[in-house]
Amino acid sequence: MEALLRELHEGPDGIPEYRDTEISGADLTIGSAADQRIQLLGRAVAPEHAVIRKSGSKLELSCRSGERVRVNGEPRSSSKLEIGDVIELAGHQLTIAEAPGGFDVAIELRPNENIDASEFESAFRTDLGQTWLSKRPAAWMLVAIVLIFGVVLPVSVIVMHHAQREVPAWVPGDDFWNSGPLSPAHQQAAGVRCDTCHQEPFVRVQDEACQSCHKTIHDHVSPEHLALTQLGPTQRCATCHREHNEPASFLVNSSDSMCIECHQDSTKKFAQLHVEPVTGFSAGHHPQFKARLLKPTVITAGSTFELEWKTEIADLDKAVEQSNIKFSHTQHLDPDRVLRRGDSKPLNCADCHSLEPDGEHFEPITMENRCAECHELTFDPGAPERQLPHGKPREVVLTLQDYFTRKFSDPNAGKPTRERRRLPGHDEEEQTCSGPPFECAMRSAHAEIENQFTRRGCVGCHVVVDTKSESDFDRFQVYPIRFARDYFPAGRFDHRSHQIQGKLTGDAACLSCHKAKESHDSKDLLLPAMGKCEECHGDRPKVERVAVQCVSCHSYHPQPTVAVEAPES
Amino acid sequence: MIHRNLLLFRGARYLWWSLGLLVISGVLYATQGKVQPPNGGTWQGYVLGSIGAVLILWLTFLGVRKRRYNSTMGTVQGWTSAHVYLGTALLIIATLHAGFQVGWNLHTLAYVLMIVVIASGFFGLYSYLNHPGVISKNREGGSRAELFAELFELDRESRSLAQKCAPEVGIAVASSIERTTLGGGVYAQLFSGDESFFVRGAGSPVRNTDQQAVVDFVAERLPRAQKGIEAANLQQLIVLLCRRQAVLRRIRRDIRLRGWLKIWLYFHIPVTFALLFALTLHIVSTFVYW
Repeated sequence: MEALLRELHEGPDGIPEYRDTEISGADLTIGSAADQRIQLLGRAVAPEHAVIRKSGSKLELSCRSGERVRVNGEPRSSSKLEIGDVIELAGHQLTIAEAPGGFDVAIELRPNENIDASEFESAFRTDLGQTWLSKRPAAWMLVAIVLIFGVVLPVSVIVMHHAQREVPAWVPGDDFWNSGPLSPAHQQAAGVRCDTCHQEPFVRVQDEACQSCHKTIHDHVSPEHLALTQLGPTQRCATCHREHNEPASFLVNSSDSMCIECHQDSTKKFAQLHVEPVTGFSAGHHPQFKARLLKPTVITAGSTFELEWKTEIADLDKAVEQSNIKFSHTQHLDPDRVLRRGDSKPLNCADCHSLEPDGEHFEPITMENRCAECHELTFDPGAPERQLPHGKPREVVLTLQDYFTRKFSDPNAGKPTRERRRLPGHDEEEQTCSGPPFECAMRSAHAEIENQFTRRGCVGCHVVVDTKSESDFDRFQVYPIRFARDYFPAGRFDHRSHQIQGKLTGDAACLSCHKAKESHDSKDLLLPAMGKCEECHGDRPKVERVAVQCVSCHSYHPQPTVAVEAPES
Repeated sequence: MIHRNLLLFRGARYLWWSLGLLVISGVLYATQGKVQPPNGGTWQGYVLGSIGAVLILWLTFLGVRKRRYNSTMGTVQGWTSAHVYLGTALLIIATLHAGFQVGWNLHTLAYVLMIVVIASGFFGLYSYLNHPGVISKNREGGSRAELFAELFELDRESRSLAQKCAPEVGIAVASSIERTTLGGGVYAQLFSGDESFFVRGAGSPVRNTDQQAVVDFVAERLPRAQKGIEAANLQQLIVLLCRRQAVLRRIRRDIRLRGWLKIWLYFHIPVTFALLFALTLHIVSTFVYW
């Protein structure tokens, strides 16, 4: 297509001037770019705005997608063109004129004089806003992503859970709201079901949710005691047990502050419960240790009696063990007096005291499992194989009577004699019995029974009461021996971790707290006072001090020996 | 120098505000940890979170304040200075609120979005402090419009002069003008991509990066010019093409610098909206599963 472009300008004297340009090419392109056949500047002009083509004998104008021009005043995106039609674009006027010979079309251009060359910029994309980058759609897209993962999926999964429908594990749901990992046991129990614990939206986790699994746990204060105090309702489980935190060891709140919060003002808060105030672990901040002891009370009933054991809480400096045993630690630990059987070495603490698996308590010491190894219950040097039964006074009487009956009545036994006894203040001559053998036997048995219960044998370790009864069976009664299993039931102590104390090990470690070598009497309690703990421990970290917290020694939840599930009422 | 005043506004007043806020936040953070590890669920965590949320809302409000031209609520310059300092403080406050605990969850998503916003803000701050001087120097005091006007005139003069030269020179110059690229897509704007071509004699178009090829092409014609007028035209044409080359370089550099000056906003603003939404969900979801 051959085109003649006549560019009209108003000259300085008001006379129009024109400049003709011949354009050849298939299409007559119009735009602001340099490669357009008709280059028009202006912000409203696209780099490639429109094109004029010849279609048969007619001219057709079509705009690029999204662009418009005015044809005879009408905004159009395409139009057939006739001679005389006026195309307007950004103030530029293009008039289709009669084509002179040799041309297919003639166009008169009246450029917009107000547009200067500086608007050439619009022919290029020079701003990021003209690219695919955009703020608003990007914002919407990001919001949509957050919406999907933060609302749509979690709510859908919650609804499906309520409808008891299976949700594949890979589908992110309300666990996307999880603010941190659960402790492994809770993770295993709850899985991805947040509603295991969070049973009601916008309501904090209730104790019932915890107790649906933890059925055997007990409150710190029993309901009966709580009613006597001004403490109000017990705290929520989650007050101390915080989940979704790292590290998971914080699941149990071990802070002293929560204990002290109530216990510092205990005289007011605990009212008639008489709980001593505690503000830390040092003298003046923590009550001195008190031992829980067993105290026997003799209840006589005719010629016999019974012991009633009651617990007694006593200050350590006044506490007296009333176990009814006669025992001297000093003697037993003196290598000049006592040596171990077998290797003849001095006794160790552990020869008698054996730690239980809990690391805190010791196995009860009995005659059979400890003392009998050295202390035999023989009564006749001539018959070292014969021993008296332990713990059964009546059996002792019977055994001795049986023994002497046999001894006096056995025809092969030779002349019945009563061997020499060396007793303090007595220097008995050997006596012979000339009466009937049974009488002789009973007399010898009676003498030996008296001997065992009052001078040697039983009385060596036991408290024996002589009831002066005529019957040998009723005459001597032995006080039973009992020890408290736990002198500090409210406290916990790990003997195992104290077996090495700095440079002290073995017996030295034991003896640093328990002054056994200085104890001549079983009345001594041998328990260390709080000051001993303070030598190494304090409630605050210090040099050469191991910090302890309330929960290092005390449990918040009372722990019965065997956790028993309360029957459902 | 507006960019300098941004940070030193009224003796860096908001720097001190931010430092004060950080000291308070640090004390709040440090008083945690006895009962439970530092996290958003302690009372200190709630306070830190509330400070952070209020800061986010206020920081977002800069976009509103900027458009309220008749507002008397402080100057935009003061707001921007505070925006920079308090936005930086937010990064630390939110980290303390979270207690350094992160995970694959909504809460960390909000935190990450916040980091993207603040990091892009840092980039923006750097650009605003650095680029305007470079841009001004590049334009040598002129405007971009003046550069384009000059380019347009050079195009017109070059084309006109080239038509008076040998046909292949005319074609070469006209094609080099028609196929000069400037700006364009994101990459081309930010990295001064140049996809210019020109038609060198007979054959397919050849690359004309930085317009050097066409200058060389015309220059090669100069020794072979037979008439004085032809040589003069070619000489004049070379001058025009070289001027055009220089103008194009300036424009390209201008587009690049302006691009880098603005690119961060395409992250800063959309992510801010995602952050606002994620922040809302973070707060709501925390109390749904209290």
